[in-house]
Amino acid sequence: MILFRRFIGRALWRDPVRTAVTVAGLTLGVAVVLAIRLANTGSVRGFERALELVAGRTSLELVGAGVGVAEPALAELGWLREHGRVSPVIDRTALVLTPDGTEWPVRVLGVDILRDQPFRDYRLLQITEDNLDDVRPQDFLELLVDPGSLILTEQFASRHGLTLGGPARLVVGDVVHEMSVRGLLRDEGPARVVDGQLALVDIATAQWLFARIGWVDRVELQLFEPEAIDEIEAKVSARLPEGVQVQRPAQRGRQVEKMLAAFHFNLNALSYIALIVGVFLVYNTVAVSVIARRREIGTLRALGATRGRVLRLFLGEAAALALVGAGLGAPLGWLLAQGAVRLTSTTVNTLYVTSAATVPSLGLADLLLALGVTVPLALLAAAQPAAEAAAVPPIDAVRQIDPSAQARRASRRPQVVAAVAFAVAAWCSTRPPVDGLPLFGLAAALAVVLGAAMLVPALLSWLQRVGRAPLARWLGVEGLLAHANLSAAVSRLAVSVAALVVSLAMLAAIAIMIGSFRETVAYWVGQTLQADLFVAVGDRAPVGAPLTISADTEAQLASHPQVRAIDPFRNVDLPYGPDGDLIILGAGDFQVLLDYGGLLFKAPADARTAMRAAVDADAVVVSEVFANKHGVSAGEWISLDTPGGRRSFKVAAVYYDYSSDRGLVVMDRRTFTRHYGALRPTGMTLYLDPDADPDGVRDELLAAAGPDTRLFIQTNATLRQEVLRIFDATFAITYALEAIAIVVAIMGVAATLLTLVLERRHELAMLRLVGAGRRQIRRMVIIEATLLGALSQGLGLVVGFVLSLILIYVINVQSFGWTIQFHLPVGFLAQSTLLVAATTGLAGLYPAAVAMRTSGGDRER
Amino acid sequence: MLRSGPLGELSTRAARLVEQHAFDPLVSIRSLTVRFGLFSGTKLPGSWPRCIVLSMHVLEAVDLHKTYGDGAGGVQALAGVSLTLSAGELVAVVGPSGCGKSTLLHLCGAMDRPTSGRVHVGGVTLADLDDEALTQLRRERVGFVFQFFNLLPTLTLQENIELPLLLAGVEATESERRARASAERVGIEHRRDHHPGAVSGGELQRAAVARALVHEPALVIADEPTGNLDSENGRLVLTLLTELTRQTGVAMLLATHDQAIAAAADRVVRMRDGLEARDTDVTIFGAVAPSS
Repeated sequence: MILFRRFIGRALWRDPVRTAVTVAGLTLGVAVVLAIRLANTGSVRGFERALELVAGRTSLELVGAGVGVAEPALAELGWLREHGRVSPVIDRTALVLTPDGTEWPVRVLGVDILRDQPFRDYRLLQITEDNLDDVRPQDFLELLVDPGSLILTEQFASRHGLTLGGPARLVVGDVVHEMSVRGLLRDEGPARVVDGQLALVDIATAQWLFARIGWVDRVELQLFEPEAIDEIEAKVSARLPEGVQVQRPAQRGRQVEKMLAAFHFNLNALSYIALIVGVFLVYNTVAVSVIARRREIGTLRALGATRGRVLRLFLGEAAALALVGAGLGAPLGWLLAQGAVRLTSTTVNTLYVTSAATVPSLGLADLLLALGVTVPLALLAAAQPAAEAAAVPPIDAVRQIDPSAQARRASRRPQVVAAVAFAVAAWCSTRPPVDGLPLFGLAAALAVVLGAAMLVPALLSWLQRVGRAPLARWLGVEGLLAHANLSAAVSRLAVSVAALVVSLAMLAAIAIMIGSFRETVAYWVGQTLQADLFVAVGDRAPVGAPLTISADTEAQLASHPQVRAIDPFRNVDLPYGPDGDLIILGAGDFQVLLDYGGLLFKAPADARTAMRAAVDADAVVVSEVFANKHGVSAGEWISLDTPGGRRSFKVAAVYYDYSSDRGLVVMDRRTFTRHYGALRPTGMTLYLDPDADPDGVRDELLAAAGPDTRLFIQTNATLRQEVLRIFDATFAITYALEAIAIVVAIMGVAATLLTLVLERRHELAMLRLVGAGRRQIRRMVIIEATLLGALSQGLGLVVGFVLSLILIYVINVQSFGWTIQFHLPVGFLAQSTLLVAATTGLAGLYPAAVAMRTSGGDRER
Repeated sequence: MLRSGPLGELSTRAARLVEQHAFDPLVSIRSLTVRFGLFSGTKLPGSWPRCIVLSMHVLEAVDLHKTYGDGAGGVQALAGVSLTLSAGELVAVVGPSGCGKSTLLHLCGAMDRPTSGRVHVGGVTLADLDDEALTQLRRERVGFVFQFFNLLPTLTLQENIELPLLLAGVEATESERRARASAERVGIEHRRDHHPGAVSGGELQRAAVARALVHEPALVIADEPTGNLDSENGRLVLTLLTELTRQTGVAMLLATHDQAIAAAADRVVRMRDGLEARDTDVTIFGAVAPSS
């Protein structure tokens, strides 16, 4: 330990810039990994927490096929009372208009209060203007018998100036209901859900509010013998009528978790890029340290240090850096997670679930994860240079050492590793996903990254061979000197350049992938969105009860003289397949779609004919994602749960869709109504007369709906913009993560240059002696930095191109199941090339300043 | 058992050495006898059986060849050099640059292996040792003084001197005490807390000498110890080396260009361009007074 402190610790301390850069790189890497993990956990936990609070002591719940349980089915479930208490529930979302003019989403729980009391810990704080504690259920009942009654949480009411007995406006879909606040809930139990954003109403009121007369969303069961849950679940499952399933409340959380798995997995994978770059820096630091201290290592060996001891010293250096990086990275990760939640919640809320994501506090498990990932990775990274240090013979204490000769000696092996890595990548690219995750695809990407890193020494050697004459010609003596300096330091530069190449390759690959995806989506939107106007209510609420359009509004829209056709559509979440994956079951008017719409079909060739045959028939069209994920093709049959039991539907056609990676199954509205009942639509597309002005019609429709309308009507053009805006928001975090990785990598190059400058101070002083000006010295160092940046970007672009093919044709298909048309974003890549060259040039300014300072006043022996 | 017979007659120092090394696995009975050779360069009791002393070499190099590189491009640095060195003896290897002096020293100091030939240090045949055992031998039996000092820049002079002890697992307080004593012995106690970058060349080499002797090795290898010093400091370091050789009884093999240094040695081994060595063991033998 004493030796470690003196030999390694002090050396790190004496080279503070390099040490700081390495630690900063690791810190950022750890922070990003942890931030994404915390943010991912946060988004799922937010949902699960709400689920737990609302579920209360519910042991089991009965759910219908996407649309809830019909009341007639409830009548047949009397036998459930043998096992426990039963409570039917309506669980929806609405908005409360507050006196201050703002509107807040609240979870509306419609329950039969007499039955529900044992399920959930809600306690009324106040029931009338008089403070009454210990309210009896009867009081509750009386209160709820009035259909205009609403109970809010005390927390929510006081925050928004709502008073007991006062009015409250509840917006359900496009209808505003005047209610009155008849009670306030204490801040406990379900009242704590999402900052108290909960409203309690009688179940009958809820059915009326949400147009669910004759239906409940689920039936909850509190068992007399909770310990026998497995046995009872099996018994109940066996006796249930068709179309009703039993599950545990946590199942909904698991469904959401599974639904988000691919999205989270890819974010996680991406977050590791920054850590890998950080680990590259550890390799760089240890490798440079070994090369620069070869004579010292030889001295240690001559004085009696064993190989094992030397190995441990340098592995210890990596471990120490990793420990500090992980220690600093963990709290920084928590801070970053706050930002990441904001970035990802846009995506999660837009595409997946509405939940209030909060970052969980930093736990011991997170710290252990940070250490458990960083330390082994750093040790792995340092293994090779540490082994090299251990192999230093004692004679090196006195031998003249030529680092470039060492580099020449070792120049063949990396190319062999690169060839093997590329072969592995090619093989991995052909492997199927594992449990729905593109593990082999990621392995292929990693192998390409490794192969690229291994090509870097060859690239630098190439510069060494061919760069001299052109650099001297174009950049004069500074170019010649820069070439000479870089040529002499190939082995030291290789790793930091490799780190930069890897980051830039990932940037290029991600840019190509996103560019291709965007082009594909833009084309799909152009083809698919043919309607003139799109009508929806409020913001989108992707999972859970959607907001619906009332019959009055539908009639009003249809009555506009310039509206030619209306396609009302309705989506429900439906568990599908053996794992109960939540898919989207949609209902649309196939006839209108055929006449006016523009679905892009993938199969079969005569898809329009097949779809025509599916009108009012037990047939569906499915999205490409659904077809890929569940291995379904056109012409086959799939089974869907309906309230009447499991039914088979023919897959008439497969169409391209990029709106959700969950997979869509769409049936004609008439077919849907036959199987799932008449549900109010969640959106409508309107086709106008050819000579109609969409903006004008939109304004007229909104004016007719009145100033308080909840309708959102978008024209075709604005919706297309909106789709691309959501797309860009989805990928904002991708660019943020990538930017961090590049910053870390550029810091690494700057640190390496700085080390080289410090080691060359005698040489620089000599250059000054023979007449080199300070500006020439600075120019020389900046040329070196820029050259490294340009070379890295050059190789990065080539490797990025290969990586993008893996991302587009392997990882994306396996994660999300959609086809992306390849598109090269030439403009972006050209810009990034210039930017990287300029940035690395700028990063060379500090080493250049040090070089000027050092060469001007070298007083060292 | 070893204390009986003639060993029982030994001086206190020799008895202590026997005590220390009797059960050291590396130190065979042969090397114990080498330790007795400590007295070959100092005043021996008149009754001491000369035959024992004469047969006890700290270092024995036999027909050493060393070629760097393979095939036609290989460079022969040594072509059959033999050499012996006894305890308390200071042997200078002289010759022009490139004649193989350093190579000979590296082979004798167990820093490198010969292409052919044998080296015995303290009776132990180096060819029989694996890397681990060679390292242990260097750590316990050999001290090094290099031309460019080879002090670790991140360590103070005191810590540099302590290094061999720390590597040998000597407890921190003990190694600190012994290093301090060693620093005092070479006259740099006032510089102990300085880093190598902050002291003069002469002081650096004194520290290197202190480091070479702190663990009481049997053999010190000094490769051009004054080659990087001015003449005044060179003279001081030389004096120090000769004194310490006499005082500690260590065997010192020293490579130098400097004829004056060679003159201070017990023996001089002259190496020539042809890489052959002629052991001129008859010259100047015993001519040097320890502290003249």
